[in-house]
Amino acid sequence: MRVAVLSGKGGTGKTTVSTHLAALNPDALYMDLDVEEPNGDLFLKSEWIDEIPVTVSYPEVDEELCTHCRKCSVFCQFNALIVAPAMTIVLKEICHACGGCAMVCPEDAISYGERPVGEIQKGTAVTGNTVISGAMTPGEYSGVPVIKKALTLAVEYDMTVIDSPPGTSCTTVASLEGCDLALIVTEPTPFALSDMKMVVEMLRTMDMSMAVIVNKTGLGDDEVYGYCRDENIPVIGEIPFSRELAEAYAEGEMLSQMKPDIKKVLEGVWERVQAESIK
Amino acid sequence: MIVALCSTGTALNADLDSRFGRCSYFLFYNTDDSTFHAVENEARHAEGGAGSRAVQEIADNRAEAVIAPELGPQAMDALNRLGIPAFRQGKTLNADTVIKEWQDGKLERQEKASVQEMHRA
Repeated sequence: MRVAVLSGKGGTGKTTVSTHLAALNPDALYMDLDVEEPNGDLFLKSEWIDEIPVTVSYPEVDEELCTHCRKCSVFCQFNALIVAPAMTIVLKEICHACGGCAMVCPEDAISYGERPVGEIQKGTAVTGNTVISGAMTPGEYSGVPVIKKALTLAVEYDMTVIDSPPGTSCTTVASLEGCDLALIVTEPTPFALSDMKMVVEMLRTMDMSMAVIVNKTGLGDDEVYGYCRDENIPVIGEIPFSRELAEAYAEGEMLSQMKPDIKKVLEGVWERVQAESIK
Repeated sequence: MIVALCSTGTALNADLDSRFGRCSYFLFYNTDDSTFHAVENEARHAEGGAGSRAVQEIADNRAEAVIAPELGPQAMDALNRLGIPAFRQGKTLNADTVIKEWQDGKLERQEKASVQEMHRA
């Protein structure tokens, strides 16, 4: 079973929920695929045992062979090659490494180099969970290669909790590959609901099962409940807003100080997660 | 020599465009004979890499200098590597005026991208 924890809006409690769910199930693999800002380990405090670099390829043009015919530039949908009368230049960062330019080059002038775009760490959390955490190199254009590589390392686990990127970006979609259930963490505010609606729309086009956890209840309004009812999305857990929890979060100490009431909510969520993902 | 400008229209007195990669038209002005031609900017329809595609159009039209609004990192990098100098159009309203300012050496060179963040598709 593989569960992705999503949010729409940032700061709703995605990392809180995903790390706590993993902690309740020490056999589960925890994957931090929020590769722009992987922060699950602030709570899981892993001992790293392996570092796996992630690279992507990019075209290199042999000017001795290039006749500046423009076929590669015309072919490239991402405009990563510019052919001037006497020079062909490659913009590595916007290349999607599809390999097409080398195929259309009549002179065989294009080969591929590799450049690092991120890193994956593998280790064991204080909770006993195996942890795989992906991080993009700052300034990189896309985190998708890091996520794809990380998912290839996760195949042998029976139970996986994924901390997905927030929003509905390419990285969010990539993190959902092979998932059985999307768990959306939201808060009862108009802003969070608005962003969550985009997530729901994305998940519907992917035909993925979903469930909602409402965090920080007692704030905001009730609109999220009406929306979930109308859309037939089960609300499988509610975490009351608490200053104490926010303080523990800020200290990075939530897991060790998990309050019995929160633990109970999350145990309930886990039972429902298992039930929903079998559906 | 040919200088490229970013315009909202096809005439020299049309307003300059405030965008580079997604401007409406490129004007190519030839300083040797004071003639010009306008080319619709196909790059503005690009899903991604509009700045880079725009540089391709500038290279295709043999421009040796660019007068432009703010340039992004990809376009700036490409122009630098192609050895095409870029000048900042500033607050000037139309091509007629900005060409004179450029010829008088009044325009500032752009050598670094003013927008550091990558524009995303």
